[in-house]
Order: sequence, then C-alpha cells, then structure tokens
Amino acid sequence: MTGLAVDDAAWASAWRTRSPLDKLALSAGLVVCALVLPVWPGGVLVALAAVALALGPARVPARTFGRAVRWPLAFVAVGAVTAVVSVDGGGLGWAPDAATRAGELVGHSVAGGAAVLLLATTTPMSDLLPALTRLRVPAAVVEVASVTYRLLFVLLESLRTIREAQTARMGHAGWRRSLRSSGALAAAVLTRSWDRARRLQEGLAGRGMETGLRVLPEARPSSPAFLAATGAGLAALVAVGVVGA
Amino acid sequence: MHIAEGFLPAPHAIGWTVAAAPFVVHGARAVVREVRERPESTLLLGAAGAFTFVLSAIKLPSVTGSSSHPTGTGAGAVLFRPPVMALLGTVVLLFQALLLAHGGLTTLGANAFAFAVVGPWAGYGAYRLARSLGAGLLPGVFVALALADLATYVTTSLQLALAFPDAAGGFAGAAAKFLGVFALTQVPLAVAEGLLGVLLFRVLTVNARPELERLGLLRPAPLATTEEVR
Repeated sequence: MTGLAVDDAAWASAWRTRSPLDKLALSAGLVVCALVLPVWPGGVLVALAAVALALGPARVPARTFGRAVRWPLAFVAVGAVTAVVSVDGGGLGWAPDAATRAGELVGHSVAGGAAVLLLATTTPMSDLLPALTRLRVPAAVVEVASVTYRLLFVLLESLRTIREAQTARMGHAGWRRSLRSSGALAAAVLTRSWDRARRLQEGLAGRGMETGLRVLPEARPSSPAFLAATGAGLAALVAVGVVGA
Repeated sequence: MHIAEGFLPAPHAIGWTVAAAPFVVHGARAVVREVRERPESTLLLGAAGAFTFVLSAIKLPSVTGSSSHPTGTGAGAVLFRPPVMALLGTVVLLFQALLLAHGGLTTLGANAFAFAVVGPWAGYGAYRLARSLGAGLLPGVFVALALADLATYVTTSLQLALAFPDAAGGFAGAAAKFLGVFALTQVPLAVAEGLLGVLLFRVLTVNARPELERLGLLRPAPLATTEEVR
C-alpha cells in the first residue's frame, strides 16, 4: 500500500507485465478517439471500451476506478454548467442548446478520463517514465521525474505522520492554529525533502555515481498480438463512430 | 482545479500545448544543463518536484469551513526560479493526471500554461517587484504565493472562456462567468496560500537559513565582530 489508490491498482494490475509503450499506444488512441469522435456513438463506445478493458482483462478493482473519477467529475459538472448558462442582459438563463452542449462536454470528458485512467491503473509511473526516453524526452528530465516519483511517497508519509501528530496536539483546532500548523507542516516536509536528497546524494557519491542514475531496466517486450488487437479495435471504433454519427 | 481530460476541444488542446511547449522545453534545457554541470542536482530537483506535488496535497483551511489545496507553484518559483518550475510543474501535472486522475493528458498543455508558466512567472514577478520596492522576504513571499495562485485560476478561467464563448455575451460574457465561478471563489484561498507561504518561510529562515542563503533569497548574515562575541 502506498496511499495512492490509482498507483496501488497499477502495481497490482494484470497488465502490469505488458510493455508500457503498448499500453500507451492503446490509451493514447482511445484518448484521441474520445476527443475527436462525436459523443454519440463514438465517445460512449470509447468510455465503455476503456472501462471494460480495465475491469475485465486488466483486473482493476471497480471501486478504485469509480473513486478515481469523482474529482474530475466535480470539475466537469461545474465547468459544463457554467459553459451552458447564458448571461443575458443581467439575467441568467440557459443557452439555446444547453442540454446538448452540456451532454457533449460531459461525454467527451468522461470518455477521455476513462481512457487516461485505463493507462493510469495499469502502468506504474516507474515503468512509464523510462519509456519516455524512447519518445526522445532527455534522460536528465526522466531521471528528475523518476526521483520525484520515488520521493513522493516518502514525503506523503511524512506529511501524514506530521499532520496526525499536529492534530493530536490540537494543532488543527480552529482556523488560525490550523493555518499555522499547515505552515509548519510545509516547512517540515520541505526541509525533510532536502535532507533526503542530500543523504541519497551522499550515498550515491560513495558508490561512485558520476553520470546519472543507472537502474537495470525490466525487459517488457512489446506484444504483436496486443498491438494488432489495439489497431483493429481502434479502427472499428473510428468506423462505427464516423458512420453512426 | 485543473481542466479535466477531454473538456477542451481538440484545436484548443493543441493550441495550448504549442503555447506551453517553448517554456517547458526552456525549463528542460535549464535542467539538463544543471544536471550535466552538477550531477547531484538530479536529487535536489527531484525533491523539489516531489515537494510541489505534496504541497498541493496539504489541505488549506479556508474561511468558509470547507478546505482546498494550495497550488504550490508560487513557493517553487521563489525558491527555484520560474524556468525550472515550468518543467517541474509540468511533471507534477503529469503525476496528478496519472496518479490522482486530476487534470488530463490532452489538457496537459493548457494546464501547464496556467499552472507551470503563468502562475510561477506572475508570482516571481510580484516577488521581484516587492523586493525591489524594499519589501522584506516575508511580504515578498506573501504577494508571490497569493498572486501565483490567483493568476493560475484567472488563466484557467480565460482558457475556458476562449473555448466556450457565451451564446449572447461572446468571450467577455463567458470570461465573466468563468472568472466568477473559478477565480472569484479563489480569492480567499489565494490569501490563505499567501499566509501559508509566510509561515513556511518564517520557519525556513530559522531552520534552513543556509539553504535560503545558497538559493540567494537571504543575504548571508554578517559575521559577528570580536566585540560582539565578547
């Protein structure tokens, strides 16, 4: 357990051993379809395909998938309502085709969100980041991002522990105290992150680090069958999405 | 709040990605140069990225009783300068999209423009201006964090207004709507983030003075004279 449900799901997923680039191709294809195809029937099919793949072959817990979409749904709901409300001469009203437009916005967002979540719940960041070097992202940037990913959980753990201790000492009773405690919390986490980085650096220097962090890459060969199925599935989605619209 | 995946139409998603790209590439170049000269910076920069992510997970007590989260990029801009934050902010956005389903991949460009480019530059600009007018570190930090937070949400609102102009009022009408919903409600939170920054840096000036001096935020304390020591 790392505390981030989506990350836990990614490590436990049945698709964990698949090539990250294969999964990236599938999700990216679905994301583009969700964005470009009309919501009916294309977007709906994308959403169904992403959810079915995640809950079916990738065996992501439905609870995790469901909980993860709550946040984006809140934004989508507020954003879509704001977009279709019309300000007319000081009065508020619905724009002419409000229901259709809101439906389209929600449809695109839900389909796209499900497609991204399919990647997120099947591929840990530590698999995805090295794959980025193959997409010509500089190695130094990928390394910084990898260190960020690994330190993140340490810092989140510190954050949780310190906040618990503060709460136990009434540190979050009332607005003033709570703000003061949050400031101290941020400072503690920042100095701890510096301390961690310095100690890691000293440890690595002692082991002779000169050019970047070398880790043994796990070989995850690309599967021709998976790629062929992805291509065929996406082509079918596009065909149905274009003809059915 | 970041713009959710699929919310922006394709031309806008592409346009904002193109707009944010030069800043992010510039930041990436700065990071690559820094790492080549000092390999140990990898770990410090990684720590800075992780801190920015974690800072956005600290619940900010807000006046209304509900709670929200700081953007965290203002503090990063003051500590590590905006070009580096353009890259670190984008990495953090990618992590938020893939670890918290917060934001998205096609909207990454638009979100990066608001969160990793406009926010840090607005905050850093305000900080430099305040310092050059003679303000101390803490007032400078307050305006930097509050403005970085607010500028991020103003940008997000304008991005949404551009994508969804009002049927009657056009862009201006839509801007008024989105600013009302996403930016006006953010004002108390921006003030709270500014105050959080003041408290954060007040602790840092005591506990992490050498680091702040090394980052150029504080002038090294003059050495005590022999008279004073006696």
